[in-house]
Amino acid sequence: MDKRVAIIGGGVAGLGAALSLDRYGIESIIIEKSPNLGGKVTGYAQLFPDFKDGKALVAELIDKARRSPRIRVLTNASIRTMARQDGRFELAMTSGDAVCADAVILTCGFEVFDARKQGEYGYGVYPNVITAPELELFLDPEGPTKGKLLRPSDGQPAQRVAIIFCVGSRNKRLGNPYCSRICCSYSTKQAIEIMERHPDANVTCFYMDIRTYGRGFEEMYQYAQELGVKYVRGRVSECSALPNGDIQVRAENTLMCRPVQGAFDVVSLSVGMAPCSDGAQIAAWLGLELDPYGFFQAKDDYLSPYETHQEGVFLAGSISGLKPIRDCLSDGFSAGGEVALYLQRLHQGRG
Amino acid sequence: MAKTGSGEKGQPDYGWRFQGKIVRLCEDRSVQMDESSHLMERALRQMSMEYFALDRCLQCGICTEGCPHTKLETNARFSPRSFIQKARLGLLDLSGEDLWLCTQCGQCKLICPYEIPFLDVMISLRSLVVEQGAGYVPASIKGVLSSLSSAGNPWKEDQSRRGEWHADRDRSGNTSGRQDAVMLFVGCLPSYDKRAQKIARAAAELLQRAGVAFDILGEAEVCCGESALRAGDQGTFERLKAINTRNLAKGGAKRIYTLSPHCYDVMKNRYDGLETGGCQVYPFVILLHELISKGALPVRNGVHKRVAFHDPCLFSKHHSIIAEPREVLQNIPGIELVEMEHSGEKSFCCGGGGGGVWRDTAKGERLAEIRLEEALKTGADILATACPYCLTMLEESARGEERYQDLKVMDLCELLREGVFS
Repeated sequence: MDKRVAIIGGGVAGLGAALSLDRYGIESIIIEKSPNLGGKVTGYAQLFPDFKDGKALVAELIDKARRSPRIRVLTNASIRTMARQDGRFELAMTSGDAVCADAVILTCGFEVFDARKQGEYGYGVYPNVITAPELELFLDPEGPTKGKLLRPSDGQPAQRVAIIFCVGSRNKRLGNPYCSRICCSYSTKQAIEIMERHPDANVTCFYMDIRTYGRGFEEMYQYAQELGVKYVRGRVSECSALPNGDIQVRAENTLMCRPVQGAFDVVSLSVGMAPCSDGAQIAAWLGLELDPYGFFQAKDDYLSPYETHQEGVFLAGSISGLKPIRDCLSDGFSAGGEVALYLQRLHQGRG
Repeated sequence: MAKTGSGEKGQPDYGWRFQGKIVRLCEDRSVQMDESSHLMERALRQMSMEYFALDRCLQCGICTEGCPHTKLETNARFSPRSFIQKARLGLLDLSGEDLWLCTQCGQCKLICPYEIPFLDVMISLRSLVVEQGAGYVPASIKGVLSSLSSAGNPWKEDQSRRGEWHADRDRSGNTSGRQDAVMLFVGCLPSYDKRAQKIARAAAELLQRAGVAFDILGEAEVCCGESALRAGDQGTFERLKAINTRNLAKGGAKRIYTLSPHCYDVMKNRYDGLETGGCQVYPFVILLHELISKGALPVRNGVHKRVAFHDPCLFSKHHSIIAEPREVLQNIPGIELVEMEHSGEKSFCCGGGGGGVWRDTAKGERLAEIRLEEALKTGADILATACPYCLTMLEESARGEERYQDLKVMDLCELLREGVFS
């Protein structure tokens, strides 16, 4: 069977799909717009809930992909246009190359919410207000600070840390009314990392609801509380900078029915996720419809979650709704199997 | 009856609507209630059918933190969040003062992540109390509502004296009745209140200096009804609105300028008859801004003062009028414009909105006091504003207090008048 699959996006879902197709003996080509494979997971030193090494996971996936003769990788590659001709997909790259495929798997992932849109928290104005991906970088033992959390304003160790949940999620005003699903868990993971390294640190999480829904997530949340991470139920209304660079945070402790405020060395915003920014263009090329937020819609969420309304176009990972890393990988593996089945039928039908 | 719950930006509303049916979060209200709370609960159910408001609140508390009352150091704090929570459990106590603390400043509406129309919820609850007698109405509010209903102004003043501030003036430059005349909607405080009349006089002088022909309705003008509306008296509001709409149409005004942001808000948003009649409503500060940019109001004298501008909530939070009043002030040479801790969209309420100006509030519980402290911190000589309510609230709270004696509260018209006339 001489069939080839184009996988758009080289994150964990794309890699998973390529490795899955490889096991079926099917050729694939991963088209990744950034210089490296691995997607956003390359920035995570530890994954929740089991504190697995994220970089090692990505390295293993990439290594497997590189060693397979059936997986081709295009990095720094952007698609100029894409169309379907005679049942095949023709992709024209901006580099001038052309890619021809019998099926397409979309694994474009998501975008991190731009915290500047929620101006009351002062991200981009106050140096000591950072986002969760930046906190992740601080907590990375191989990162620029060797795993130490420092105040960006003066490089002093940060002892008092506030983590604000639901930034850019569950917010109708900003057009993101949905729950981003993973922020509660990754923030709790980050809080644990801080507390484990600095037992005398003060980590306060401002949350609306704790949604630790996955296997092992709730246990992680309980462990965080055992370590002394404080959880205050209330949405922060405003961050302001004090003259010494401290960030003052104000909220209502809704369980105590009284206002709370505190000064922190660093405030981390647990930013939510937004649909991938290339989604609209890709959907237009392929004749697909997006949901009102910009996520791709599966043919049937229950029975054919990886297929779309266009034959030969498949979905995997966060492109169809936000998912934790484990789910993105298993999406990739499953979509690979679906595509293999699809191509086999196509082959038999033609033969 | 039930409106669709789909959001304004075409987004689906999840959670409280499911397959076209309204899902109640607490269908089983096994809370013991007396007769009056049953009446209230029925009305609340009806209300939340309309707004889907109570059920979609996430109880995150951002409104409470944003609410100006939270900054008051009193024990009985007002919390919009717990207000909604109690309302949806049928536990709201309408016999207390709580319902009347909201000044309708709109801060909660600005920051609410789920766009809960808290101001409308508040108005609906008040109308339940005012029109159906389901709870407590402060005597001061009762008095104002009855005066508005019977006399057309909050003090049962003689309507024929409404234009007096203007009548006793030198009419030699009288420009009313001209074809191009604009209509000045004066409002109750600037018409009757000795202090606020100075705003009206300054405004009239500025208009005459700029050569703008203007009319006032005089005794044909009644209260715009904003206080009645926000205090829940829909009936009185509708009557006042009908009278004003009819008389404004009779006057043939095409452009109406209001001295108070409160009149502007209600005439812009709720006087549906005006726009269909080809009438446009603007706040007076917009006219001043226009005249200054055209060069029609040359400022001769410097006012060498440090000035802090207090944004009326209805301008900054409800209508995004933030730059214009500041530009008017900056046009006066010598003025050093300073900003208080809360300014622009994040402005801090004076406590006068939503009927607050008519309520008696004890010292130490006034929002205006917090605002005055903020003004003191900037070292301002003058606290300027552009709203008769704000002016009254701030000035009343400053009166007799030694710490505020060097802080003068002025309306923007008065300040500009000082710059234009010697």
